[in-house]
Amino acid sequence: MDRTLSNFIRSLRMADVRVSTAETLDAVEAVELVGYKDRKFLKESLALVLPKTADEKEAFNACFEDFFKFEDVSGEQKSGQDNDHPDDPQDEQTGEGGEGGSSDRQADEPARDSKKKKSKAKKPNNNLYQEETEADLGPGPMGEPSSELAQLLMANSKVELSMAMAKAGEATDVREIQIFTQKGLYARRIMDQMGLADLNQEISELREQTAITERRLGQELKRRRDWLREQVRDYVERQFLLNADVTGRKLREELLRKVKLSNVEHRNFRLIQEIVYKMAKKLTTLHSRRKKVFKRGQLNVPRTLRRNMSYDGAIFDLHWKSVKIDRPKVFAICDVSGSVASYARFMLMFLYSLDEVMPKVRSFAFSSDLAEVTDLFNRNKIEDAIAKVLRDYSGGSTDYGQALVDFRKHCMEDVDNRTTIIMLGDARNNYGETHAEILKEMYDRSKRIIWLNPESRLSWNTGDSEMRKYSAYSHQVEECNSLMHLERVVGNLLRQIN
Amino acid sequence: MADIESIAQSVDSLKKHFESHRYICSTQIATAVYLAYHLKKPILIEGPPGVGKTELAKTTSEMLSLPMIRLQCYEGLDESKAIYEWKYGKQLLYTQVLKEALDEVLDGAKGFTESVKRLHEFGDIFFSEEFLEPRPLLKALREEDGCVLLIDEIDKSDHEFESLLLEILSDYQISVPEIGTVKAAKEPPMVFLTSNNTREISDALKRRCLHLYIPFPDVELEQKIIQARVPEVSASLRHQLVSFIQELRGLDLKKVPAISETIDWARTLLLLHADALDPELVRSTLNVILKFQEDIENVESELHSITAKIRK
Repeated sequence: MDRTLSNFIRSLRMADVRVSTAETLDAVEAVELVGYKDRKFLKESLALVLPKTADEKEAFNACFEDFFKFEDVSGEQKSGQDNDHPDDPQDEQTGEGGEGGSSDRQADEPARDSKKKKSKAKKPNNNLYQEETEADLGPGPMGEPSSELAQLLMANSKVELSMAMAKAGEATDVREIQIFTQKGLYARRIMDQMGLADLNQEISELREQTAITERRLGQELKRRRDWLREQVRDYVERQFLLNADVTGRKLREELLRKVKLSNVEHRNFRLIQEIVYKMAKKLTTLHSRRKKVFKRGQLNVPRTLRRNMSYDGAIFDLHWKSVKIDRPKVFAICDVSGSVASYARFMLMFLYSLDEVMPKVRSFAFSSDLAEVTDLFNRNKIEDAIAKVLRDYSGGSTDYGQALVDFRKHCMEDVDNRTTIIMLGDARNNYGETHAEILKEMYDRSKRIIWLNPESRLSWNTGDSEMRKYSAYSHQVEECNSLMHLERVVGNLLRQIN
Repeated sequence: MADIESIAQSVDSLKKHFESHRYICSTQIATAVYLAYHLKKPILIEGPPGVGKTELAKTTSEMLSLPMIRLQCYEGLDESKAIYEWKYGKQLLYTQVLKEALDEVLDGAKGFTESVKRLHEFGDIFFSEEFLEPRPLLKALREEDGCVLLIDEIDKSDHEFESLLLEILSDYQISVPEIGTVKAAKEPPMVFLTSNNTREISDALKRRCLHLYIPFPDVELEQKIIQARVPEVSASLRHQLVSFIQELRGLDLKKVPAISETIDWARTLLLLHADALDPELVRSTLNVILKFQEDIENVESELHSITAKIRK
C-alpha cells in the first residue's frame, strides 16, 4: 500500500482522528483519483474521506499541514516507498506517473553509495568545527564536486534533497522520536546517513587546493552544507511534532489514568478534566443507544386495520400507540468533606460529565447535612459548579448518619425499584451514629446501591471507618481512587442500567 | 439530457455548473460531489441549519438532469415507509374478485393436501412485483439512468433506521424477503444524506460515506451567493448586509442567522427599497434574520455599534 498515505493515517490516529481500515481504503481510492500533484485538491479530498466530525476536521487540517510540508509531495512519497518495499509491485499504481520512478532511482544510488563509503571515511566528523573562516572568493566558475552528497547539493534540486533527507530519516527511524532532547541526536544521525563525513572530507580537501575554482567550490559547499543542516533540523522538528508530541501526551494521559487521584498535581487538573470528559464521551457513545421501553397505549386503529388487511380483514394482529419512557434513574450521593475532598472533585467532575449519558442523574453532596446539587450542576459550567459545591458543602465534619437521615426526609419517596444509588465516600464517620438502618431501607427499595470508596481496601474498617456496617447493605462495594477505576465502575453501571 | 460525464470531469467544471444553477459553492463542496461521483460513494452533509445542505442535493439533481427522490426522516420512520410495502388493499380486492377463479382452480381437488398443492402451482402471485408499493429507497434503486437520492435530516430518525440504510449505502442494494435482493440499475443513485447534528450519527454509517461539513460562508462567498440569488441588490448594500450578518454570527446568540436568512433579508430590504443599512431599518427588519425574541433584544442593544462598524 501507499506508504506515505499509511504514515499520514498513522499520524492522524495519533492526533485522535479515528480512521478505520475501510476509510483507509477509501483514501487510497481517492488518492488514486486525484493524485499527489495538486496539494490543495489532495487536502480537500482527503478531508472528505478521513475525518468525520468537526473536531476531527480541525485535527486533520493541522496534521495535513505538518505532514505534507515538502514542496514536492510525490518525491517524498516515492523515496519513502522505496525504502521499505524495494520490490513493491504496486509501485506504479500509486497516483504518480513514470517520471517519479526514474528520479527516485537516482536518489537511491547516492544514499546507497554513501552508506558504503561511510565506512571508508577516515576523518572524524567534528572536523568541521575546526575550520577557519576564509575570505569570500566571490562568484565565478567552480570545479566539479566529487562526493555524492556534494553533487546533490550542487545540483540544487530541492526535491532530490528532500527525498534523500526523507530516506535518511527512514533509515534512522526518526519516526520513533519520543522526547524533545532527542532532536539533536536524530538530526546528526540523518546528516551522517546522508553522507556528511564524505562531504566534510571533500570540503577540507578542496580548501587545500590551489586552483581558485576548487576553493570556490569548497566554500560554496560549506555554505550549502550549513543550509542543509538547518533543513534537517526543521525536518526532525516536524517529525517530532507529528510523531512524538502526541505520544508524549498519550503517555501522560495513560499515567494520569492510573495515578491515585489524591496525588494528581494541581497543574494537571486541566488535563485530567479533559480525560474525564473524553472518558465520559466514550461511555456516552458506547451506551447512548437509548433503550426504549414501550408502554402499551391506546389501540392504533389505522395501523391495525392496515396490517390486518392481509388476513382478510380479520383483526388478530393488534397494534398499539406506544409511549416511550426513558428508564434509568440514578442518585449519586457524594461525600465532600475534608478527608475525601481531593477525590470528591473528580467524582463530581465525572458525574457532571456523565449527565449526558444518564438522563436522570440527581446529585447530592454532603459533609454533614445533605443537599441536592442537581440544579446547581445544570445551571453552571463544570468548574464553577464544582467550586460552588465544594465551597458550600465541604465545611463541616463528616456525618454519614445525618446525611442518610436527610436523604430519607427528602427523597426516599422517589427511590423505586428502577433506581440506582451511588454512594461516594470513605465511610469515615467520626465515630458518630451510622444510621445503617436507613441504608437498609434504601437497599430494600432501590434496584442497586453501589458504594465507591476512595480508600484502598486495606484501610477499610480501620479507625472510624464504618465500611463493614454499610457494605452489608450495598449490592456492590468498590475501591475507586483512580480514573481507571472510575471508568470501569461507571462502565459497568451503564451496562446494567441500559 | 445533460452530459454528466463532462460536467463531472473536474472540480472546476462542477463548480462552474453549480454557479450557472445559482448555487455558489466552495471548492470543498465541489470536490465532495466530484469524489462522490467518481468513487460512487454517498455524501453525508453536516452543518448548521440553513447553509444549503438540502439545496446542494436539489441543485445537483437539476444540474445533472436526474430525477430527485427525497426521503424525509422523522422519528418512527421504518422500512414500510422507506423501502417498500405490500399493497394490502389491492391484495384484498383481488382475492375477493378472484374468489370464483379460485374455486375453478380448486375444482375437483380431493382433500386439503391436493388443494394446497394446486395453489402452490400458481406461485406467490399476491406477493409479486404487482403488489409491491415501492417507497423512496427502492424507487431510487430502480431508476434506470440513476437519480439523486436525498435522505434528509437523518439525525431525526431512529437508531435502528440507520442500520437499515447500511446495505443500500455500501452496496446499493436492498433485500426484500419475499422478492430477493434488489440491486441498483446500471447507474447507482447519487446519495446525499443531511444531518443537523441533533444526535451523533453512528460510526458504521459515517464510515460508508464521504463526510462534508458545510460551515457558514466567509464574507466573500456570502456576497457572491447574495449576488447570485438576489441580483437586484446594489453592491454597497450587499456588502453592508453581509458584514452585518457576519458580525451577528460572532455574537452569542441562541440561533445565529444562516445563509437562507441572509437571502430572505436581502429580499426584504429590496422590497423596502433600501439602499443602505441604518439602525432604524435594521431594527424594523430584525425579525427576518433572528428567530428568538431573546436574540432580538440582545442585538437591539448593540445595533448602533454594529451598524457604525459596518458602514466604515
